[in-house]
Amino acid sequence: MRRGNALVFNSLTFVVFFACVLILHNLPLGWTTKKINLLLASYLFYSAWNPPFVILLWISTVVDWYAAQGLVKAKRESARHAWMLLSVVANLGMLGYFKYGAFLLDNFSALMHALGIAYQPAHGDIVLPVGISFYTFATMAYTLDVYLRRAEPARNLLDYALFVTFFPHLVAGPIMRPTELVPQFEQPRKASADQLRFGLALMTLGLFNKIVLADSFLASIAEGVYDSDKVPGALDAWAATLAFSGQIFCDFAGYSTTAIGAALCLGFAMPDNFRFPYAAVGFSDFWRRWHITLSAWLRDYLYIPLGGNRRGPARTYTALMGTMLLGGLWHGASWTFVVWGGLHGVYLAAERFLRSRFANYKPGPLMFVVFGLLTYALVNITWVFFRAKTFDKAWTVLRGMAGTNTAAMPILSSFSLIAVAAIVGGLVLTHWFMRARTLESVVARVHPVAVCAVWGLLAFAIVIAQGSGAAFIYFQF
Amino acid sequence: MDMLRSEVTVEDQARYLGRGDYARVTAADRPGVAQPVPVREVPQQPWGRISLGALLLFALLIGGWEGYWRAWGVPTGYYRNSNGEWAQQRRRIDAGEGGKTVLIGSSRILFDVQLPVWEQAAGERPIQLAMEGTSSVPVLEDLAADPQFTGHLLVGVAPSLFFSGFAYRGDVIPYFHKQTPSQRSGNWLSKRLLEPYLAFDEPDFALATVIERQAWPQRPDLPENTAVRKLAVQEVDRNSHLWSKVETDPEYYALVRKIWSEHLSAPPPPMMDTPEKAQKLIAAQIQRAVDAVAKLRARGVQVLFVRPPSTGPWLELENKAFPRDKTWDVLLARTGAPGIHFEDYPEMQGMNLPEWSHLSASDAQRYTAALYRIIERDFWKRDAAPVAAN
Repeated sequence: MRRGNALVFNSLTFVVFFACVLILHNLPLGWTTKKINLLLASYLFYSAWNPPFVILLWISTVVDWYAAQGLVKAKRESARHAWMLLSVVANLGMLGYFKYGAFLLDNFSALMHALGIAYQPAHGDIVLPVGISFYTFATMAYTLDVYLRRAEPARNLLDYALFVTFFPHLVAGPIMRPTELVPQFEQPRKASADQLRFGLALMTLGLFNKIVLADSFLASIAEGVYDSDKVPGALDAWAATLAFSGQIFCDFAGYSTTAIGAALCLGFAMPDNFRFPYAAVGFSDFWRRWHITLSAWLRDYLYIPLGGNRRGPARTYTALMGTMLLGGLWHGASWTFVVWGGLHGVYLAAERFLRSRFANYKPGPLMFVVFGLLTYALVNITWVFFRAKTFDKAWTVLRGMAGTNTAAMPILSSFSLIAVAAIVGGLVLTHWFMRARTLESVVARVHPVAVCAVWGLLAFAIVIAQGSGAAFIYFQF
Repeated sequence: MDMLRSEVTVEDQARYLGRGDYARVTAADRPGVAQPVPVREVPQQPWGRISLGALLLFALLIGGWEGYWRAWGVPTGYYRNSNGEWAQQRRRIDAGEGGKTVLIGSSRILFDVQLPVWEQAAGERPIQLAMEGTSSVPVLEDLAADPQFTGHLLVGVAPSLFFSGFAYRGDVIPYFHKQTPSQRSGNWLSKRLLEPYLAFDEPDFALATVIERQAWPQRPDLPENTAVRKLAVQEVDRNSHLWSKVETDPEYYALVRKIWSEHLSAPPPPMMDTPEKAQKLIAAQIQRAVDAVAKLRARGVQVLFVRPPSTGPWLELENKAFPRDKTWDVLLARTGAPGIHFEDYPEMQGMNLPEWSHLSASDAQRYTAALYRIIERDFWKRDAAPVAAN
């Protein structure tokens, strides 16, 4: 727990930073002063990665602030459209340049080569700003909510700027809506003693997921197969893919839990981003449990405007596939992410078709679990494309999972196999136990001594795991 | 919060399949509307007593863990060999110390060359940039590309690393060039608040490493590949020497030797599994060194190659896989830079290498003194023009 590209939660610098923020927030200062403190702290948080890129945050903030103001003042519908388009073009333009610039050029170059035209684009080494996919979506939600007349604009620039920049959600979500956060800045907020303690407990749980489970145990197992030149057999391919399924959940849900805990320590509430997704039964259920704030964003601002399910089956399936393909591309400028999204789109479309075909079918308890395990297995197939850096690697791993790599030799140690079985097995069982519960409801029923012991043990494990401060996977998105 | 509502069983859930019944409503359940301010309830518990108890338990466990490692012989007062610390030393070159002597190489230069001894003889402490398990060629290239560096350069040559290009810590150079303010402050804090005070704060004693090193059953057909154990301790400016446990604990140095034997008896890596491939790889590494040395010499940097001692099975493997006449001699001839090979100097004989690859702490001092005497006498003469070879 010491290094990290951005000011990651799992870094010593963050511990000192957060302690200072907590102290400042609890000093007897005016509410406006406290909000300015939080805003400056959030800019400092972002600058800890690369100071000049704070300018992008400002651009995104200012453009959407004025776009929303313009929307409210506009008399004609065409003017409203124009203000909305300004926001969308500015945000997607920024995202497109920094995230997809090189990808688009490379693909254009490949297309030209395929047409027999020698074209070598002169693109430089474009740096991907940390969290740009998250904060551009947050600011766009602000303008789009005002455009769709779902929300009023923020009353002052400070509250709005703090909504965009608030450090717990800034670089990896949860992707906040303005209506969720801006009202919280309107009245003075300070965590109660119990909120502070429970917030710290949530941060401990989140960091345990990230530092101990994801980084210390599961990451190297996935790397052992996915970043190796060796050809995996069935056991290694499945173990590595299951390890990655655990790694990405613990990494990302760990970040979200830490972010929710950090906000709670300051007296603010952030929404759930995960609801135990590996106990999902079916893919619509999965997407209501996995990265909820992104899937809800895509649904509200892409799927529904594309027609949703109100314009006939053909339009519904088209909107579904389009949303999931773009959702895949949101994760990274690579065709492997597009395939990942596409597979989920196919799964969702197939499920939709089967539900309409067998509308009266209700599974019994056994089939319910069978469908759940099938969902998890199929989700793992998609993780192959998410984790593999190339299609060649993805096919090699998939062939391994299918047991058709006849020349495969063992890659992972017996310890790695045992670790995957214990951690990922434990994770899936936990998700099934928790699938219709909340963490809070379970904690409320556990004996205080057990809560105390678990909290102490998790904190101990975090420290002795000596995490390398590896960046959260979703920082790159 | 209505806790009862959360207690929906799997069977209940089955009945709700398709109807989206969840323990807590989120944005997933509210399509196409403005999302309201979330509610985050705190479970009813005596959180004051729980947090105090958790803190106490945490302190007890940490104290016990620290005590265990100290009792096992791990000293305090030393630092981690981190990328952050390497970057801090590397940064000195671009912060006004580019005219100094810089040491690059792998663990042999890192553990065997003692900065205080060198400083006493030369009147100036060199900058230590050697990195364990890592060829010095990438660092050589990095320094060649940095016009701020104009001093003297000692390049360590461990044949199995230098001529194969293997770079276990190869990420350190990109790390230096891309280091963020957060990483720099993290390193600063770690050095001041944690590293010198905690024995367990060392990658070798990390939770996952400790668990992985237990006696798990060996998977059939998977060759043994035990990770190298902690070998050295490091001071504040990366001055390092062999850890006393490697010299004095028979069980520990037997383990270290066993691990080396495993590594030395492993088949060659795929890029060197035929003589043709090996020769091609060696030639490529030498060419990289030739190019980098030419750039350095063009701006007056004096480059000196040094082959530190090795013995036993390590020396046998190096002589067999990287014979001197096809590697070291070619390197010196092609770069035109001078070199010091331990086999050529009587004062570098008879050293104690407890695990065949690195000098004992006391002999590292003797070796450094001898090395500097030779350098001053034959190569980097004080107040004199550079030697002809350079």
